[in-house]
Amino acid sequence: MDEQVLSALREVFGERLFTSHEQRICYSYDATGKMFLPEAVVFPVSAEEVRRTVLLANEHRFPVVPRGAGSGFSGGSLPVRGGLVLSTERMDRILSIDEENLVAVVEPGVVTETLKAEARKRGLFYPPDPASIKFCTIGGNIAECAGGMCAVKYGVTRDYVRGLEVVLGTGEFVRTGVSTVKGVVGYDLTRLLVGSEGTLGIVTKAVLKLIPLPEAAATILSFFRNNHDGSKAVVGIFGERITPCALELMDRTAIDCVRENAGLPVPEDAGCALLIEVDGPKQSVTGEADRVEQACRKYGAIEVSRAADAEGRERLWTLRRSISPALRKVNPVKINEDIVVPRSRLPEMLAFLGDLASRKRLKIVNFGHAGDGNIHVNLMISGTDEEERIRADEAVAEVFRKTVSLGGTISGEHGIGIAKAPFLEMEVGPLGVSVMKRLKRCFDPNGILNPGKIFVEEEVVSR
Amino acid sequence: MKREDFTTLTAACAKCGTCRTVCTLYPERKAEISVARGKITLVEAAFSDRDGNAEALQEALSDCILCGKCERECPNQVAVEEIIMKGRADLAEKLGIPAWKQVVFGKVMPSVTARNVTRTAATAAQKVFLRRVPTGSGLHYRFPEAFGLSGRTVPALPGKSFLGSLPPGEAVRGEVVLFVGCVFDHVFPQVGRAAYETLRLSGKGISVFRDAPCCGLPALVSGDRLSALRCVEENVRRLSDASPERIVFPCGSCLVMFRRNMLFLLPSGHPLHGEAVRVADRCVDYASFLLETDVLSRLPDRPKGEWAGQVGYHDPCHLSGTLGKGPEGREVLRRTVGDSYSELRGAELCCGYGGTFNIRDYPTSAKIGQNKVSVAAGGGAAVIATACSGCILQMRDMAARTDPSLRVVHIAELVSKAFSSR
Repeated sequence: MDEQVLSALREVFGERLFTSHEQRICYSYDATGKMFLPEAVVFPVSAEEVRRTVLLANEHRFPVVPRGAGSGFSGGSLPVRGGLVLSTERMDRILSIDEENLVAVVEPGVVTETLKAEARKRGLFYPPDPASIKFCTIGGNIAECAGGMCAVKYGVTRDYVRGLEVVLGTGEFVRTGVSTVKGVVGYDLTRLLVGSEGTLGIVTKAVLKLIPLPEAAATILSFFRNNHDGSKAVVGIFGERITPCALELMDRTAIDCVRENAGLPVPEDAGCALLIEVDGPKQSVTGEADRVEQACRKYGAIEVSRAADAEGRERLWTLRRSISPALRKVNPVKINEDIVVPRSRLPEMLAFLGDLASRKRLKIVNFGHAGDGNIHVNLMISGTDEEERIRADEAVAEVFRKTVSLGGTISGEHGIGIAKAPFLEMEVGPLGVSVMKRLKRCFDPNGILNPGKIFVEEEVVSR
Repeated sequence: MKREDFTTLTAACAKCGTCRTVCTLYPERKAEISVARGKITLVEAAFSDRDGNAEALQEALSDCILCGKCERECPNQVAVEEIIMKGRADLAEKLGIPAWKQVVFGKVMPSVTARNVTRTAATAAQKVFLRRVPTGSGLHYRFPEAFGLSGRTVPALPGKSFLGSLPPGEAVRGEVVLFVGCVFDHVFPQVGRAAYETLRLSGKGISVFRDAPCCGLPALVSGDRLSALRCVEENVRRLSDASPERIVFPCGSCLVMFRRNMLFLLPSGHPLHGEAVRVADRCVDYASFLLETDVLSRLPDRPKGEWAGQVGYHDPCHLSGTLGKGPEGREVLRRTVGDSYSELRGAELCCGYGGTFNIRDYPTSAKIGQNKVSVAAGGGAAVIATACSGCILQMRDMAARTDPSLRVVHIAELVSKAFSSR
């Protein structure tokens, strides 16, 4: 980006254009910990500014990388080819919450928890709840199709996006989808854009579906001797025809990480824990919780506890929440994958992961959203042992192959970004990749938007 | 500080972004450079790139209130405050410390005589240059707009400091030492006095650390490591010699300096480290000491409605952060004002003072502070009670600007009043 481009951007953005080395460093990373320095950063406050930016980019051929809060785990917001980072953090207004039609209209920089809290005040519910909920943005959630704990019952971001306003890679401004419950007018561009990782368009406004806030909830924590019993219980709970709103599994290594500061007693022989939450009308919650407890016992739970008040539920949840931060105790560097398999294949997948860890002499901690078959496979490595790093890379490839062979998917909610680009074809096949690339060319013929993501084109070099 | 030492501290940051949720400054700046993740990455980059600009890094590290909320929220417990303070010190050593700070931190703060001389001059100056404004918390002076301080108010400096009003002769000895702190000695001597009188009700032998150097925090946060070190070395030596059971702090900022920051300056290996740890272990906040010695059990039954309006407790970041203090101040207040106590709306919101931050960027500091007091007042508070000198300076200034009927006091003032109205 030369001085001519920068002065054109300055004309649009004034002080909202950052070019200093220090300011650029602060937009060079995300939660992957990788760094790629952008040439400049802009903070649009309107769709028109986004449009003008993309038009300039087409004219002068520089990359534009949209960014929300930089909380992603696959590198979606990293400017791997340099160019301009377009931060949506100042487009952060909730434009309306329509209590009659149950829709919210928001700008992309709204923090997910802010929207949830506003909805909650009105007795409404915006379900998606990625772990970074307190700081991640709706725009980033849409780009990566974020999920979360309650996806098992309520679905993921995709299920709550009714319509979008988007600036395409061409600089054209398009409205997609509807603000009604139904709509089949032409291709469903909305669903195509959700999860497209900022490679097809930049969302400037989103119409989101809200639902009534569930009246009550109960949380059950069960310990099992091993993953086998625990994962059988997961399947068993659904066999009872209950859909919990969260069903989290923690394996032995995960439990061991938090045993001391779990804030509650953990049985000595616990090799697997399930944290299950049911919600709904008050009358039905108690009955469902009873049946969940029975199912856990039937599959060999060694201890079951339950809480129905907010404080008690929070106490049970601390076990789950304390895992991620405690992982550093195992090893300092985390390679974090988020594979999904059909629920019924969980026992097989978990057995495979246990075997893989011993075969590859690696520390692998598994936990996550077992209710939807989504396991966060965390390979914990020293980061200083090159040979260990190679074994870890081989293990990741094996995990992905096994996942696909079980009918699963290699990313449930983190996206492909740069982290999983080499494995895209493994899952969707060469023709799948080809169709995707053709779509990309149609939306963004000059390759302006977020280049270097999803597809492997050329070697990406970290700074 | 050595590169490896910084690397050990910064490596714990996973770049997850959790610090964005609690950063006091982020909502004002809306830029990643204001949050811990950004600053830590800059420090890391400064070590890896030789073309880094030290002035720009200094600017970035200075733009922080050091409220420590990010450190508390951080899933990996990254020592953000330590990184920023040490980074500021390294940069100050490289780039130099402004002349006025050298005089204040190097000469005035460590010496009780120099502080007294300065105070006399300041008392005279404020009467000449500033305009008087009465407020709910007493007389304040307002800076004229021409000073470029956009209407800032400062408390009227009283005729005598707290220590100046004590009879001469008492040395630091006995079971319990009161470390009153510069602000509660000179600016708000009524707080120093209230703390002293109420501590005496514990029945313990209380002595006041009369010619104490400054705690060193203002110098440390400004990057003036040498001046800070002079303060803490002398404090440790003197307190170590006196060897009291307890050292009580009415000011949360002085306390965090003694309990934690002092050890950044006197790390293991330093000849004074062992003594510093022993001193630090005996330091306690005012409210905890009152509860520990059960002073409040001697309070008479209170008639209802004696306190005009609701009284709430503001959490000073320096107490609620690393030190985890908060329930103690509330408990003292609840037992002191009875039914008038009510949880302050936005109690945990930072007041935005940040010491040198308030001087560096007064408009932003004031915006955060005005929000703080208006949230509290909106929740019905008539009195904000707290336990830190910085918070009191800031919230009184903010109240004077927005709602002069709102009173801002130290909890010791209310405790003292409750006892005296027996």
